[in-house]
Formats: sequence, C-alpha cells, structure tokens
Amino acid sequence: MNMLFFQSEESLNEWLASREVARGAVLSIPQLWELSQLWYDNRMSLEYHGRTVEQVQEIFKKLGLISEFWQMI
Amino acid sequence: MNEDKLWEIRAFVYQHFAETTRPPLVDETVSRFALTHEEAVSAYEELHQRHALYLKPGTHEILMANPFSGIETPFKVRANEKIYFANCAWDALGIPVALHADAEIEAACAQSGETIRLSVANHQVQDSDALVHFLVPFREWYDDLTST
Repeated sequence: MNMLFFQSEESLNEWLASREVARGAVLSIPQLWELSQLWYDNRMSLEYHGRTVEQVQEIFKKLGLISEFWQMI
Repeated sequence: MNEDKLWEIRAFVYQHFAETTRPPLVDETVSRFALTHEEAVSAYEELHQRHALYLKPGTHEILMANPFSGIETPFKVRANEKIYFANCAWDALGIPVALHADAEIEAACAQSGETIRLSVANHQVQDSDALVHFLVPFREWYDDLTST
C-alpha cells in the first residue's frame, strides 16, 4: 500500500477516499527518477553498506523534499 | 565471518539478481564463496538483521534486496533483455538506475487498474502523467540505516 502508481490526481483522490486514509506525499515521475538516481545509483557497489539518517535526510533535502512528511527525526 | 566477506556476499546477491533476475539460493552462495552451508545461512541471517536484504519469513530464501524483488509483483521491469520485478513504484524506477540500463516499466494504477507504462531511454525517464503516492512517512518504515 505504501508506494503506488496512480494515473492521475483524480484516481489518487478516489483511492484515498475509498480507503479513508490521509494523503501522504506525491511525486511526479521526473521527481521520482531524480530521487531514484540519488538513491540507487551505487546500490550494486561493494562499497554500499546502507545509509545514516543524516545521509538520507541530505538526499531528500537535495531534491527539495523538506516537508514534515520527509523528515527523518 | 569477517565484515569484508559479508559485504562481498551482499554484492554477490545483487549481482546475481542483475544477471539472473532472481536471488541466489544458499547453496549457490556456498559454491561461490566455498563456504559451509551453516556459514552461508549465517551470512544471510546477518544481512537480514542489518536490513541489507530481507528473507522470506521462516526461510533462508531472499524475498527482496531493494530495488529487486525475489518474487513476482505487479511492478514489472524489462531491462537488458530480462524481466525483473520491483517491490513498489519507487523500486520500479530504481531497477534501471541500479543496473545503469534502459528499461520499460509496466505497472498499474492502484485505483483503476489501468496499465501504466514508463520508458527509460538514454538514462532518462520519459515524462508521464502518472504519479507516485507515498502513504507512510519515511521515518515510520525505513530501516536500511547504519548507525553513525
């Protein structure tokens, strides 16, 4: 349920209403692509061992994801 | 098992996903690293504890190593002449990024069921009217975190 595609805002709103859940955060496809690049570019690397809270927050900040939803602490 | 070996095994899991679209079985890791069965099981359990990958409950089969899913999901990614499965919408774009490959993504609108197709070509995603909704704040579920 957490990270899903929707074909439009209308579809998303219908889905939220039907499940009586609050709207979370919405990204466009280009935004998600930018996030994915920062998040997964080095995922295959031997040197990737996970991230600290600070590193995660820095990625979000770099993309302008600074609302309360994206705060790690 | 020393740390270097553990991370080599993690890298092998990812490489295996990339090359075959599925995770390595314990026996495949035994062969690759000349381990005992117990050593390979222990490594999988340790990597699971560290959230470097996730095992299917009650087993030593790998369920996922984000962005790759070890089982079929509604998030299908065609890349490098193979079909991969992602764990979610984000991971669907994460697979071509992780592979450094172009891809065709096929998923569905969670409300209408209409097919959503995305293309990644020349390492750029083609724009689309589709949206991605994150229901739960990151801090409430993300646990692939190392300690400082």
